[in-house]
Amino acid sequence: MLPLSLLKTAQSHPMLVELKNGETYNGHLVSCDSWMNINLRDVICTSKDGDRFWRMPECYIRGSTIKYLRIPDEVIDMVKEDAQAKSRNRTEMNKNRGGNSSQNQRGGRPGGNRNNVGNRPGQGYGGPGNNAMRLGGTAGQGNRLPHAAKNRK
Amino acid sequence: MSGLESYINHTVSIITADGRNFIGTLKGFDQTINIIIDECHERVFSTTSGIEQIVLGLHIIRGDNIAVIGLIDETVDSRLDLANIRGEPLGPVVH
Repeated sequence: MLPLSLLKTAQSHPMLVELKNGETYNGHLVSCDSWMNINLRDVICTSKDGDRFWRMPECYIRGSTIKYLRIPDEVIDMVKEDAQAKSRNRTEMNKNRGGNSSQNQRGGRPGGNRNNVGNRPGQGYGGPGNNAMRLGGTAGQGNRLPHAAKNRK
Repeated sequence: MSGLESYINHTVSIITADGRNFIGTLKGFDQTINIIIDECHERVFSTTSGIEQIVLGLHIIRGDNIAVIGLIDETVDSRLDLANIRGEPLGPVVH
């Protein structure tokens, strides 16, 4: 599981963020990006020594200044649910494709992936594009296995 | 493959750049060594009293802040009598 996937899943949940300078920010996560930059809402900022407090309706924190984030325990289980749901959908898609083509399913999917990789130089956009591809890749791998197992039966 | 892959779902000890020691289960990491630690607790060392354990729960620790990640042998660790171990706390990394 990737830390940034967990963070994304934690959107709308309360969390504590400690910065490298020792200040902590308590608030609800509104949004985050692939650099760990985050938006918080209904924030209480606590000074390094814990003796001064500031309330603010919202704030934006640059990812590179973060030391760690403390997240509600239940969020980690929600990531799993997301991933499982995705992989179930993929399996359904693969079944349909397999049915329409005379090729076996194992051949069908990786071929598509190879094409993507081939196009990569043309897509040189950095962060988000690469992320999407990586996610697609792992999801694909994840459910090719159960599929193959099914075929063997 | 990164050497951290084999630590996934095992108990690890993290020493951070500010000299703190976190123990917990490694659930994930990425290319910048941001890590997910589940059931995280901090061990606070002191020379005057035993090790204090503070329960923290689920954490994402940013890679910038991580100095060492070590695999913990749970059988050895569970035999430790934390209340009777004293030690100087670590200082922060000096640049």
